[in-house]
Amino acid sequence: MHINQFTEVISACRFCFMCRHLSAVGQAGCREADTPRGRALIADSIRMHPEKIADADFVDTIYRSDLAGSNRFHCDGYHDGKGYDEVGLQLALRRDIVEAGTQPENVKKIADEFEKTADWKVEGAGDVLYFTDRYSQSTPEIAQSFAKLAEKGAVKYRTISGGCIGKVLRVLGYADRSKAVAKKFAAFINGLGAKTLVVSNPAAYDTLVNDYKEYGIELKVKVMHSSEFIANLKLAYKPIKESVGYIESDFLKNYVKNYPYPAELLKQIGAKCEPIGTNIEESYTAGEAAVVLPLLNPTLTGQLAGQVAKSVDNELLLTASPYTRRTLSDANLKVLTLEEFAAQSL
Amino acid sequence: MQLAKDNYMYQMIRCELVDAVGKEFVNSGSADGLGHSVDYYWIPEMWHDRGLEPQKPDFVVHPGSTEEVAKVMKIANQYKIPVTPWGGGSGSQGGALPIYGGIILDMKRMNKVVEIDTRTLSVTCETGINAQHLEWAVEKAGYSTMHFPASIACATIGGFLAHRGTGVLSTKYGKIEDMVMSLEVVTPTGEIINTLPVPRHASGPDLTMLFLGSEGTLGVMTKVTLKIHPVPEARKFHAFLFPDMHSAMTAGAGLMHSRLQPCAIRLYDGPETAKLIKRVLGIDREGAYLVFGFDGPEKIVDLQMERACEICRNANPKEDLGTKSGEAWWNNRYKFFYPPYMFHMPQAFGTLDTVATFGKIENVYWAMKNTVETNFPEATFIGHFSHWYDWGCMLYARFIFEKAPEDPAEAAALYNRVWDMAIRAAIKEGGVINEHHGVGLKLGRLMKELYGPAMHVLEDIKKQLDPNNIMNPGKMGFKGV
Repeated sequence: MHINQFTEVISACRFCFMCRHLSAVGQAGCREADTPRGRALIADSIRMHPEKIADADFVDTIYRSDLAGSNRFHCDGYHDGKGYDEVGLQLALRRDIVEAGTQPENVKKIADEFEKTADWKVEGAGDVLYFTDRYSQSTPEIAQSFAKLAEKGAVKYRTISGGCIGKVLRVLGYADRSKAVAKKFAAFINGLGAKTLVVSNPAAYDTLVNDYKEYGIELKVKVMHSSEFIANLKLAYKPIKESVGYIESDFLKNYVKNYPYPAELLKQIGAKCEPIGTNIEESYTAGEAAVVLPLLNPTLTGQLAGQVAKSVDNELLLTASPYTRRTLSDANLKVLTLEEFAAQSL
Repeated sequence: MQLAKDNYMYQMIRCELVDAVGKEFVNSGSADGLGHSVDYYWIPEMWHDRGLEPQKPDFVVHPGSTEEVAKVMKIANQYKIPVTPWGGGSGSQGGALPIYGGIILDMKRMNKVVEIDTRTLSVTCETGINAQHLEWAVEKAGYSTMHFPASIACATIGGFLAHRGTGVLSTKYGKIEDMVMSLEVVTPTGEIINTLPVPRHASGPDLTMLFLGSEGTLGVMTKVTLKIHPVPEARKFHAFLFPDMHSAMTAGAGLMHSRLQPCAIRLYDGPETAKLIKRVLGIDREGAYLVFGFDGPEKIVDLQMERACEICRNANPKEDLGTKSGEAWWNNRYKFFYPPYMFHMPQAFGTLDTVATFGKIENVYWAMKNTVETNFPEATFIGHFSHWYDWGCMLYARFIFEKAPEDPAEAAALYNRVWDMAIRAAIKEGGVINEHHGVGLKLGRLMKELYGPAMHVLEDIKKQLDPNNIMNPGKMGFKGV
């Protein structure tokens, strides 16, 4: 079983409560099982009694997780950056569930549908590639804003549009299929002979930087999140009076470990950032790192978004994540991506 | 009770609970059942570790309001179903375990901050709120609860009320019972009552204190008003190393006798200094580590600190470890409880916390230490003195076996033997069975020995309030089902 590679994590987390205050899903549903401790107990139970991998409630709980990484990031703070990888444990358990064939039907369906979208097309000309994924495409203002900023910075770029580059399959537990898709995308990108690949979705950034590295797949381009790319343009912005709240991306903060460019860009724009909620540790992304949580569990996604709505009192929220932009907008919050905010500030 | 799910009574009771709180808030799934079958008590952890099934609840019910709690209590009374309140599940005494099945009343949905009153300096909140979340909310308003226990990230406020919890700044700001202004309680029979709105009065006995520390056996505390404090201008720490625990204790008691107002004092005995202070703080010394702090207006803090250091220097320390070593302790105060710093399986371990007057506390320490080391030579005994009062201090002693017997029955027997012997030794020397973790399942059997004839008073109160014995039966020395 893949969870056997995480026995240290299981042993550490199964009786540990020290990060439970950061479990967004745990707070949304108030279920004891929806915490790192609850999930580690499940993993431990399955480790000792493999037949329990067919327990539908266990399986459902593992797929309820938002994979936000806030707990791991918190744990890192107490272990010199090497906290217990409870996200890794959950992904391993999802792999085991898939290999045992006990995953819910909708997990299979979502995986199949996304795998079919692993095809991409390129338009335009230039050394820079700009990849728009499903979430970025669903909010056309993001790509339009990027175009405006690139034009201002006199950058010519090619747009890559298309579907899955591996993340969805990975988070659902289909690691092998994720790797196959990743190989295909890498071959496609490497064949384009570009120097830079810019992505608006932090999930895509994490996939290309962290997952591909783990898969041993080489990308012959420098991968940037759009915040880095735009910050590097060093554009001039109008003074901003309005204060904003910036929602940290689970991927850029907790997975990539404090990717600095969103803050750098906000500084360049001169945004007056007010704190979000009551603290800087919790995830306010409404399930960004679970990538397809609205398809898996729309009720839970709604609860997460509702929880954010209750916690924040900022008039305008900014996010690096098209997923969070869309999910929180659906909860009637005023949210813009960094591209949109930067473009509006020109 | 543990009714089979295909029993029609199970389904009937479930229907009533669903009517009371809503379908999505009555859970009988295996995942949540597992989560509620293990708390921070070593016995159920060991049971799970050995691949055995700890006792699970029949229903996990998440009430969203006081009225819903009252409805659940009435249903439970009707069918005589045990109800065990559950907060964050981080109790170390097994107090929230559903040992007879029945209903786990998971309070986490009742997590609202009702009011922050900046004229009174108080906060009113529902008791299911996570303690760190409450602290963050109060901090956002510019204040602090000043309640910083190691379990702040996991426990609910209700959990602290239930077992009279203590935070690291207790020496100045008090234990939770010193912080409470008033309570709202749902009685076991489902009545909603409020205790008087002020904590000091001469209007009869103090009902607030009756419920604090009752561990869910006398009712469900649903709302609380707590004192809050301005965030202090400065908080500073200093540490000394003493040649032995006795000389460090003399210095610590001296600080309290001086009537200075330290916010924290902590004294680690030699073995714990060698083991944990070295491992967590990287201070590698032989002797007893004493750290203390002050907070408030900076000038007053500096003045008190100067006087406190003078007291310690006059008590012949081995070394003045300075401010940096003191600050290191404060900054890492929670680190002690994270794995791998915290003790963990396959170790068997327990916190033998007790409290006694300054006249008796050292005897209590030696009695417990000698009992453990003489009777269980394979165990290590370490201890520190965490919470200091005008009249005495709390001993946070721990025993650790590097490996417990594999057989769960043998492991449980060994574990209970240590507790029985060590706690009896403490009681004999003037200690009590617990200071801030509570009694729960772990120590209930020793309550009669501690209280003597006074235990009947507690039992009579329990009978009067809970005629059907549905509230957390079998805990705190009260009879089981």
